[in-house]
Amino acid sequence: MNTHATTITALFKSEEDTLAAIREIREHGWQVTEVRSPVPAERIAEALGRGKSRVGWFTFAGGVIGFFSGFSLAAFTATRWDLIVSGKPVLSWIPFFIIAFEFTILFAVFGNVLGLLTQLGLPEKDYETNYHEECSGDMYGIEAVADQSEAERLKEVVGRTGTVKRADRMDE
Amino acid sequence: MQELTFEKINTTVLDTLSRPGKRYWTVIALLFCGVVLGAACWAYQIFEGVGVAGMNTPVHWGTYLINFVFWVGIAHSGTLISAILFLMRAGWRNPIARAAETMTVFAVCIAGLFPFIHLGRVWLVFYMLPVPNQRTLWPNFQSPLIFDVVAISTYLTVSSLFWYTGLVPDFAIIRDRSVGVRKKIFRVLSLGWSGKSGQWLHYTRGYLLFAGLATPLVISVHSVVSWDFALGVTPGWHTTIFAPYFVAGAIHSGLAMVLTLCIPLRKIFGYERIITVHVLESIAKTIVFTGLIVGFAYGTEVFIAWYSQNIIEMESFRWRAFGAYAPEYWIMVICNSVIPLLFLFRKFRTKIVWLFVISVFVNIGMWFERFVIIVGSVAHDFLPNAWGHYRPTLVEGGIMLGAFCLFFFLFLLFVKHLPSVSMTEMKEHIQHTE
Repeated sequence: MNTHATTITALFKSEEDTLAAIREIREHGWQVTEVRSPVPAERIAEALGRGKSRVGWFTFAGGVIGFFSGFSLAAFTATRWDLIVSGKPVLSWIPFFIIAFEFTILFAVFGNVLGLLTQLGLPEKDYETNYHEECSGDMYGIEAVADQSEAERLKEVVGRTGTVKRADRMDE
Repeated sequence: MQELTFEKINTTVLDTLSRPGKRYWTVIALLFCGVVLGAACWAYQIFEGVGVAGMNTPVHWGTYLINFVFWVGIAHSGTLISAILFLMRAGWRNPIARAAETMTVFAVCIAGLFPFIHLGRVWLVFYMLPVPNQRTLWPNFQSPLIFDVVAISTYLTVSSLFWYTGLVPDFAIIRDRSVGVRKKIFRVLSLGWSGKSGQWLHYTRGYLLFAGLATPLVISVHSVVSWDFALGVTPGWHTTIFAPYFVAGAIHSGLAMVLTLCIPLRKIFGYERIITVHVLESIAKTIVFTGLIVGFAYGTEVFIAWYSQNIIEMESFRWRAFGAYAPEYWIMVICNSVIPLLFLFRKFRTKIVWLFVISVFVNIGMWFERFVIIVGSVAHDFLPNAWGHYRPTLVEGGIMLGAFCLFFFLFLLFVKHLPSVSMTEMKEHIQHTE
């Protein structure tokens, strides 16, 4: 982070205005560090250079673990007493596949939740930093950083299409 | 729909969370009395033994398992609406998705209670779980009943997590517009959600994966429930059609229950601009589709019984239609396959009263379908000297009444304390249609 930098938060009414503001801020060489929105906004994520989500890998890993856990549980418990019940083999793969299938889904969902929590950074205690309640209503919030000497200019630029909410000086 | 704005959606939904009046608490109190009655009947059964229920040779599966299958079925359309229609990008699902998901969670909880009740000695329920023990006795994972334990517990866990995940952004909206204790509660529930672009990126991916996982799960769960019957050699049960037949029936009953719940919800909370007639009409059209599948399954069962020329199978289906439970059979056929055809006419699909009345008929019909399948088959199987009849007792009636009261009690508590329409999904919907 720049020394003597200023963080400015501003609110915009639409995704279009927000995208235009992001472009303009960048053109001036300032940074957009975060955008908050009431709904998912793919174009904003692209503009900020957010890569692909890695949640799917957690889900996949959960699913694989679940599949083998389900099969293993069914096979392990069946072999504790080697009794043939109803003429079926002790290790009956077809019925065990149903257990493995359900475990696959269950553990994939656990993986998905774990992935979501870790990737989203939730629970987040200090979510209120630079957060405006309008962002859960109908406004898009931009968090931009500029050198302190350019703070007024940044405010002017974002103020053309948005509403400047706060300017915090950061000395680091 | 054009008149809706993001802020209008917020205010409409948040207005429903205002302090409830006396009428609300009166209804809640009445439903609670019903729940207490059901609990008292169950307590009586525990003290006296399961003999106080009407189950006896040859019918050992009575209303408890009828209600189990019924409530699992009701649960299924919640996942259909929240997951399958989400994957198909059906926009009309958004206003009703939250109510349907909630219905799923409560219905699975209630369904899960019935095997406990049916067991009689409920304290031995842990025998169904793979709990390590010194005798190294484990559940038999070759049994469809144990498939069911695994499938239903998975379904309850997955649908609850899916429901909560969908609620997180809405909890943040409530948090930002609350004060005092309520703000503190929703601050915890929203987990500090702030709608950052990175959060939405991962959230939408995670939600899509949830939907993708819930879709095969919902189909597998009711297939597994059907195998509780189909893997037995009892006439009327032992058919390969059971899995798709049960899944279609489950969605049929669940959609009807969504209409039964959403129509009063829409009226009481003034959701007319969110849950539009178009949304209700779309549900009605889907009910025609599922009703036709169910009707086709009824016909196929009879045809296959005749085509097999197996005298026991033929007698089983003859008896279903003309035997002791013929009224129940014809209630099932008429309510599930004939009455929903009224929705082919626009007049019935767009008039709220008709939508509500027909949905109630389908609910009744689907309960009787489970009665006909479960009781009708074992009451009249292979040996004429083992044939018998089954009538539910007052204890079973009390428990069933308690279950229905519990469902509506929980649903009413939900609609006044949590957002009954997904504000975030509605906003996404209007953003995409703009």
